[in-house]
Amino acid sequence: MYQKTVTIMAEHGIHTRPAALLVKAAKAYDCDIIVECQGKQASAKSLFKLQTLGLYKGVEVKVSADGEQAKPAVDTVAELLITLN
Amino acid sequence: MTIRGIAVAAGIAFGQAKVLRTYESKLDYHLLPPAQLAREQQRLNRALKTLIKQSQACAAKLDPDSDNYQLIEADLLLLEDEELLAELSDTIGKRQFSAALAVEHSFAKQAQAMQEADSPYLARRAEDVLSLGQRLIRTLLTGHCDNLSRLPENAIVLAKDITPAEFATLPLERVSALVLQTGGVTSHTAILARSAGIPTLMSCPWHSLEVSDGMTLAVDAINGELYVEPDAAQVSDLNAQKQQADERKSALQALKGKVTQTKDGRTIPLLANVGCISEINHLADVGAEGVGLFRTEFLFMNNHELPDENRQYQLYCDALQLLDGKPLTIRSMDLGADKEVPSLAMDAEENPALGLRGVRYTLAHPELFSAQLRAILRAANHGPIRLMFPMVNQVEELEAVLALLESCKQELVEAEKGFGELELGIVVETPAAVFNLDSMLPLLDFVSIGTNDLTQYTMAADRANPLLIDQYPVLSPVIIRLIAQIIEKAKAAKVRVSMCGELASNPNAAALLIGLGLEEFSVNLASLLEVKQALSRWSYPDCVELARKALQVSRIDALNQLLTHCHS
Repeated sequence: MYQKTVTIMAEHGIHTRPAALLVKAAKAYDCDIIVECQGKQASAKSLFKLQTLGLYKGVEVKVSADGEQAKPAVDTVAELLITLN
Repeated sequence: MTIRGIAVAAGIAFGQAKVLRTYESKLDYHLLPPAQLAREQQRLNRALKTLIKQSQACAAKLDPDSDNYQLIEADLLLLEDEELLAELSDTIGKRQFSAALAVEHSFAKQAQAMQEADSPYLARRAEDVLSLGQRLIRTLLTGHCDNLSRLPENAIVLAKDITPAEFATLPLERVSALVLQTGGVTSHTAILARSAGIPTLMSCPWHSLEVSDGMTLAVDAINGELYVEPDAAQVSDLNAQKQQADERKSALQALKGKVTQTKDGRTIPLLANVGCISEINHLADVGAEGVGLFRTEFLFMNNHELPDENRQYQLYCDALQLLDGKPLTIRSMDLGADKEVPSLAMDAEENPALGLRGVRYTLAHPELFSAQLRAILRAANHGPIRLMFPMVNQVEELEAVLALLESCKQELVEAEKGFGELELGIVVETPAAVFNLDSMLPLLDFVSIGTNDLTQYTMAADRANPLLIDQYPVLSPVIIRLIAQIIEKAKAAKVRVSMCGELASNPNAAALLIGLGLEEFSVNLASLLEVKQALSRWSYPDCVELARKALQVSRIDALNQLLTHCHS
């Protein structure tokens, strides 16, 4: 298990458009990528689930994954969570 | 049968009804027998496939960088989302719901979860999800998407609502008019309909009439009326009106290349209000003599990334090039109040109209403001730029703005970048600004009267509130007196005075404004020729006489009477 915790920086949080970009990036990896925020979990590959997490500015988000691609996958998703707006 | 609505995009159209049903009326809440569930699952899959195909076709026509494209792409991700599909199947199977009911259930649940987010911006995105759910249900119920791809020729589209994204998918060549139950003049879809020239009625309760597909309809989006199966007399009456409107239009077109002047030959510069560069292309169509108001906040509002100094510099240079020597009046970004920018920090305010807006916002965000000022200063090397500042009430604010402008010049000198001279002005849009003008005029080259906010702040009436129509009239005696005062003070100080508010675009007010001494108009492109025509019908002494009478009036109705009377 590889994991990383980041804080959302985007002024308006990860709303529809950035979330869609994140999902597309996550889908490039074979492994499951879990995004956890305020007690709720979602797959980084599901826009449907991600939308319900409430990823707004200032909240902490844990990204985790298992397997061979875990590190690059988590790094990519975590990076996007910080930089997308 | 006729029914009223608000005309938001003018015109008269005949055609056949195409009703876009909303699902409320059709959903069947009965639980299904287990034997039917497999069929529902298949129906769902088919509907998803149809909607995905249509969305892909729609996206293919759009610029991948546009917001519309990215929203459609997000729709596609949802329609192909495995978790969503699993939940829908589960709902059909376990709850014995029809596919449509399952979609409604899941999307409503999803929207609710999104609305619970502790961020108003995220919560509002729930509307996008609900709109997608609606489209999926419509596809399920009709077998095709939105009915939009199968519009007949000359369709008059009737719907509860059409979102801007849905409007983008309409085959406009087949739509002769739109009739919606919701919305009003300032709705985003109304703006799109106006610019596409599609006669449109909003807030029209057409659903209370018996309307079905294929019925003959007429839309009078001048007087705000929908006719269902109009009789021969009504048709000929509407045709006559349509012809009149067309004739008026071509009479106006004849004025295009002519100088704007009163009957006795006094010339008056007519400039245009624009919100984006592409609108500048249309200045020549109506013979505008420059840009009198460039609302730069739209450069920010329509972009999810803020244009930086260089990008803005390019944009302003492009605008100057298109104007080919004609003046470009830039209003520094007027954010706050009703204008939010997705990519900027804006705290929700209790009372935004009285809050951090105009220069109050930009002075509080000097980095953002300086980038704009530097871009404008640099662009001024390439053509005549007039720069004006919104919501300046006090000489202290003006001094703060001018000090920032000076430091921007200094920065440009240090960076060895050239800059040009600007004419400087303010938008006079509060009573305080009117009363404080004397101290500010010595620092200014021009002032521009912003009548919308001036009326709102003087009358203490929200212009967006339909219940305050008497408190926010198009023209009121007190506003005329304020305008007269502004003009008098500005002229005494030899400062040019222009007007960029809605009043300047009102052909009925043109003669009065000339009579009050207004030297320049900045009007909406759509009204420019009408204002030009109105001015050509008056001699200057008659305008002065009209203004003298108007200044003596103390009642709103008397003022209206004076103006309508003199124009008939």
